Amino acid sequence: MGLGSFLGRTWSGITSLVRPPTAAALFRRADAYRHEGRYEEAADLVALGLRQAPNSGVGHLLAAYLHVVFREMGAAKNAFRRVLTLDPYHPRALFGLARIALEEGDYEGCKPFLDRALQYYPDFPEAKALQEMVASWSAPRPAGATPATPLPTERLRPPPGSRDLVLTNSDGTLVFGQGPEERQRQLALQMTQVYRIASATLTRAGLGSLRRGSIESAKDMSFLRTDAGLILSVSFPHETEVGAGLVQIGRLWTELDIKG
Amino acid sequence: MAEPVRPTGLQTPRSETAAAGPRPSRAQEFREVLFELVRLDGVRGGLMVTPDGLVITSELPPRFPVEALAALAATLGRQLEVGAERLGRGGFRTALFSSDDGTVFLGGSPVGYLILLGDRNVNLASVRLALRKGVDRLHGTWKTPAAAGVA
Repeated sequence: MGLGSFLGRTWSGITSLVRPPTAAALFRRADAYRHEGRYEEAADLVALGLRQAPNSGVGHLLAAYLHVVFREMGAAKNAFRRVLTLDPYHPRALFGLARIALEEGDYEGCKPFLDRALQYYPDFPEAKALQEMVASWSAPRPAGATPATPLPTERLRPPPGSRDLVLTNSDGTLVFGQGPEERQRQLALQMTQVYRIASATLTRAGLGSLRRGSIESAKDMSFLRTDAGLILSVSFPHETEVGAGLVQIGRLWTELDIKG
Repeated sequence: MAEPVRPTGLQTPRSETAAAGPRPSRAQEFREVLFELVRLDGVRGGLMVTPDGLVITSELPPRFPVEALAALAATLGRQLEVGAERLGRGGFRTALFSSDDGTVFLGGSPVGYLILLGDRNVNLASVRLALRKGVDRLHGTWKTPAAAGVA
């Protein structure tokens, strides 16, 4: 090897050590960090990478994922949309937007994203699972429509210490509720969505149809009982034991005399 | 669940990252938490999934539809978080949903959701308690100096 060639190689080696990493290398490292749960570091690397390559679909997709982890849904939506401006059929960006639409309660809006994702990438189990779930949801019955068999809702007496008692159809229409109307509407909407997604999750896990559940939040414990297209839910103080709450909602359910 | 504190915007890289060096992987902690939980009586398996649906770690029987389950569980986790917030119930912590054949348990944390699958004889109260402890451990992993607002 000649001296010139030797010096050239040495110089190249030295500069490669001090040369800043490429955007692609930054995104690879960021993705590895994301898989390790090192989200803050991943976010920094993605920001650095996007400075170098502002039109990188990979970079914007990673940015979107990290915004979702940090629950910055508006920013996540923008980043997913940016990916779609670069690749209109990017399945992961379409899927991301579908999930955000679901979360926002825009059920009709989420369908086209899932359809488009699966149109070109039919082997996409996550999108398929959501598509099947959304397709199974029935449209709300017209306002004023009465159930096939009237329910003895007058028998529903809230247990002592309970609140937010609501009975809804699985299509989201309210059958019975207590308290302010807007609160009842919000409760019905939330319980219906939880029922729908939890049902799909149980089915996908091979466990069958949802019957009962409990949800613990910082302030209270909510319980639900469901069958025959109806969902009953009620909340108790946070310290309520799961077993005791399930017994209480079981009693209320028996009062309704619902034939499953 | 307390909403996670975003340390910095994605548009504003932190020079502290390079100076401080990499933090230890949270993934190991996630694996340990899940490993302990899936060994409880009546628990068939479980997984840990981020809010965007990425499976961090899973302990499920072979040929189980992991990706589909992860997508649904992450969607359910977000619905529970958002709903708790909208209804003024404070942060979402844990939930369980039972059928005649078994139970899905879900725990929420800033880093993601812990999902456990129980059989029909699983002890709901004891698994939920263990899950809550696991979730508390995950909360602990989020308390980095940056997340505490030091950066």
